[in-house]
Amino acid sequence: MKPFFAQIERDLLIAWQNRQDLGVMLVFFVIIIALFPLAIGANATVLDPLGVPVIWIAALLAILAGFDRLFAQDVRDGWLDQIALSQLGLGWYALAKAISHWLTAGIPLLIMTPLMAMMLNIPSQQWPPLLIALLIGSMGLTLLGVIGAALAEGARRGTALMALLILPLAVPLLIFGTLASQSDRGIISPHLMLLGAVFALLLALAPLVAASALEIGETETGL
Amino acid sequence: MTDNDHKKSVRKPAPSAADNCLHINQLSVHRGMALVISNLSHQQSAGDICCLTGPNGAGKSTLLRTIAGRLPAAGGDIKCALPIIYIGHTDGLSGAISGRENLAGWAKINGFSATENAIDTALSSFATNRFADLPVRVLSRGQRRRLALARLALAPANSLWLLDEPNAGLDQASSRILDEIVQKHATAGGMVLAATHLDFAAAAQPRSLHLPGLVT
Amino acid sequence: MFDYFANPSRFIRIANRLLLPLVILSLSTGAIGLYLGLFVAPADYQQGDTVRIIYIHVPSAWLALFGYVGLGLCGLFYVVWRHPLADIAARAIAPVGAVFALLTLVTGALWGKPMWGAWWVWDARLTSMLILFFFYLGFIALANGFDRAERGSRPAALLALVGMINVPIVKFSVDWWNTLHQPASLLRSDGPAIDSSMLTPLVLTLIAAHAYFAILVILRMRALLTERRLAALTLRPGGE
Repeated sequence: MKPFFAQIERDLLIAWQNRQDLGVMLVFFVIIIALFPLAIGANATVLDPLGVPVIWIAALLAILAGFDRLFAQDVRDGWLDQIALSQLGLGWYALAKAISHWLTAGIPLLIMTPLMAMMLNIPSQQWPPLLIALLIGSMGLTLLGVIGAALAEGARRGTALMALLILPLAVPLLIFGTLASQSDRGIISPHLMLLGAVFALLLALAPLVAASALEIGETETGL
Repeated sequence: MTDNDHKKSVRKPAPSAADNCLHINQLSVHRGMALVISNLSHQQSAGDICCLTGPNGAGKSTLLRTIAGRLPAAGGDIKCALPIIYIGHTDGLSGAISGRENLAGWAKINGFSATENAIDTALSSFATNRFADLPVRVLSRGQRRRLALARLALAPANSLWLLDEPNAGLDQASSRILDEIVQKHATAGGMVLAATHLDFAAAAQPRSLHLPGLVT
Repeated sequence: MFDYFANPSRFIRIANRLLLPLVILSLSTGAIGLYLGLFVAPADYQQGDTVRIIYIHVPSAWLALFGYVGLGLCGLFYVVWRHPLADIAARAIAPVGAVFALLTLVTGALWGKPMWGAWWVWDARLTSMLILFFFYLGFIALANGFDRAERGSRPAALLALVGMINVPIVKFSVDWWNTLHQPASLLRSDGPAIDSSMLTPLVLTLIAAHAYFAILVILRMRALLTERRLAALTLRPGGE
């Protein structure tokens, strides 16, 4: 397990050095949320039911926006070559990447969410289901992002391509997530369980797919 | 953790533990539709230094990357039960963190000793201590190369070193250090396969493997 | 290199032999099916003549799904056994499947206008098909998204596999909504609910569409194989 935590530690160190990126991501999240009232109008009867979906869409976009460089930097630095020869293995490496990315992007987003919920007039008894669902949902989205980033690694127009691959796959998370967030049957709703099931599936799938996609390490330089 | 632990699972360990050789048998490698390496056979045993020569595009880097397991072989096989240390064109360093942090992280993911002492010793092998605590992005190309090569000091004695243009960007003093380290590794029973234009010191009489180049 | 293409050559020989029977099958069943469907079968007592669009809509929807299953299987073959023909087949299937998905969406919209009074409703089946269409586009974009075409093969195959696991989940999640669409009527455990006067042409057009699909895929695979062979020939080392 030591190599696994060493990879997380390295990513967290790098994230800390690039901590202004985190600010950009959070501002992005807030701006998307602010755009909805601007587009729809300040009418509370229209806006209030949209609160939870708006937060979900903003979270989806904000989490996925940070993914285009998830592996690209390691590929360019040659770190991935070192990983492939190490004890860690590419599957665990991908999982470590997902965890460090979630810690540096998902957690701040969750901390920011109550504030956004307040701005969107979401009643406070709805916050617990929203936060729990968003907790699982953000982890699932992170795993999807890992899949997308690994598949699109090295492609032209990587970012746009990644969005095209990931967004259709995100449909179940979005549907179950928004339903679970608006549950009136307590926090542990059937939707939350379905959301958890999708997350569990992604947890099993993402490292395998990422490892297979990253296995062949071609570089542009040199034959 | 034994040295064999950190072999990739893709390659099977050699039949006998005593067989610490590199066997390349009838190897062919494609890049896309082009055949870059065709029917290459090569053998190397403990204590051998081998220089890979050939014109640009002859497949030197391709061969090293294939041995390192980063490119698939289209035919033939490679057998090597030893730990592999690969230093390619890229240094494998993150620009955001310091050289020391980079090196410690690398040691940890490989299961090598990452104590303060071990890292310090490795850093001093290429005289990098002076800039080892600066973020790598502020360093020059040669300084980064020295940090990348400092890994070699952490590698186990019986490892196979795959070095792709290790001298690129190095000053003369560092080239000499590299030379000494390579010699020492070979004397200690290690193996080195390097693509380089510079000859390693004649004392060791390195063998050379010439790739003529197939793509015209 | 010759070993590499030995199998594809055999494939081309077999495919060439299949082509003519497939064309005859597709043309004959298609012509009879459409004639029966458009002129002989009675109009639906509720939906009137608009119901006749099912002879295009239903086969398209089947083929869009069928194509995606094919894509996933090709992905499996490519990832597990690294069979180059599986990659060619997937690349051949994807655009054909995408066109059928699009056709399903368009005919669905045309059908929806008189039925629901709107070109598009967010009904579960249309939405699932829309997402399936996006999957196809993602596959095509990924397979061709790299500077060297073959570099995209493995990511695309993996995507098809992930998609195959995900499509049922997407379908399930989208079904969670209440739908405006009729329940499935052809494949039910208690037998088809539609009259045989409509069922016969539907089955015939389904056969025609599958044969047509096979023809398109074979033609595309042949073209792709020739293209690859050409690329291999031009890159062959001169000295040999």
